[in-house]
Amino acid sequence: MLISGLFVGIALGFAMQRGRFCVTGAFRDVWVNRNTRWLSAFLLVVAVQSVGVFALDALGVIHLQTPAFPWLATIVGGFIFGFAIVLAGGCATGTYYRSGEGLVGSWLALITYALFSAIMKTGALSGFNTAVRSVTIKENNFYQVLGVSPWVLVALLAVGVGLAVRHHLSKPKLKFAALPASRTGLAHLLFEKRWGAFGTAVVIGLIAIAAWPLSWASGRKDGLGITTPSSNLVNYLVSGKTSLIDWGVFLVVGILLGSFIAAKGSGEFRVRVPDATTVLKSLGGGALMGIGAALGGGCTIGNAMVQTAEFSFQGWTALVFMLLGTGVAAKLTIPKRRSAPASTGAPARVLSNA
Amino acid sequence: MAKVTLETNGEVCPFPLIEAQDAMATLTGGDELVINFDCTQATDAIPRWAAENGYPVTDFSKTGDAEWSITVQKA
Repeated sequence: MLISGLFVGIALGFAMQRGRFCVTGAFRDVWVNRNTRWLSAFLLVVAVQSVGVFALDALGVIHLQTPAFPWLATIVGGFIFGFAIVLAGGCATGTYYRSGEGLVGSWLALITYALFSAIMKTGALSGFNTAVRSVTIKENNFYQVLGVSPWVLVALLAVGVGLAVRHHLSKPKLKFAALPASRTGLAHLLFEKRWGAFGTAVVIGLIAIAAWPLSWASGRKDGLGITTPSSNLVNYLVSGKTSLIDWGVFLVVGILLGSFIAAKGSGEFRVRVPDATTVLKSLGGGALMGIGAALGGGCTIGNAMVQTAEFSFQGWTALVFMLLGTGVAAKLTIPKRRSAPASTGAPARVLSNA
Repeated sequence: MAKVTLETNGEVCPFPLIEAQDAMATLTGGDELVINFDCTQATDAIPRWAAENGYPVTDFSKTGDAEWSITVQKA
């Protein structure tokens, strides 16, 4: 049932757009604002999914496997990917869903990302990719190396993330300015209401769990994934080979559709053309994203959100190096805030003074 | 009591918020900063920043498809 991929993708794109779930923002906030609220939400997705994944494995619905750990490619690829998402203004999934909002910069990043992932996986650079990825160690899993039940790690993760979420939710309740409601009932809930970081994270975690048995049933033995499907999509488009269209291809197309439906339904779709600098950053960022994700064996979803839920070395190593790459890129590209009041004159882009 | 308008349309996050923070630093208490933006994530980030800093939001409206305007007062 390949078509279930489309529906999972639509749900995911919809939830990410409405929940403003941006992994790039989550990683960047750690460095730019010293804020871990969205990172905690991201780890909540991992924890929720982890419970589901090991339950499905225990029930025999899926069978988790642990291939060798391509440590060198994971470190290099993770770092490149983390760096690239700051340039592109969104990770792979973020780029898909922002494309659905009409951001032309994300369209460009999406095109170079998919193209370069195909170049690395099956094209001109596949020899290089294979060579770097052949540097492996056999051990690739925390619970196997520690010799404990995966449920020990699931419990530890759940407690850790639970404490982080509680920390963020126990802060004095702030009153946020909200847009006046113009709809009621389900339409308000779906297209207007603020979802909140942690509510969105639970929804995305459940979608990520659902992805496993549905993808498995179609013969694709994996959970959510973006990079290989993007590469397959490019290969299909240029070769016409329908065998390349798998559950994952439907998934990524679904993300685009779901985000478009969410944005259109909430009056948040508009074709927005960026300036020349952003165009260059998007094109370059997208290309580096494709290279990094192909090397590292996944993007913020496939590696940092799905492999982590399986407690693989690859997933957690990629997550750490993506965070580092994001930190370096943020330091290089985001100007430091001017902290002294009125010391630097008027802000550059002020239009009117009334 | 000055009212200053910051135009950030076309800029992606995090830049609308960073520019708002910079602009705010140049204002004095009671001044208002009108921030026009079209980055969806800023609908979450800017009100949160205002609330965390105790800045009253005197206006927040959707001015069109994927376009918003928020007025934040320096406290």
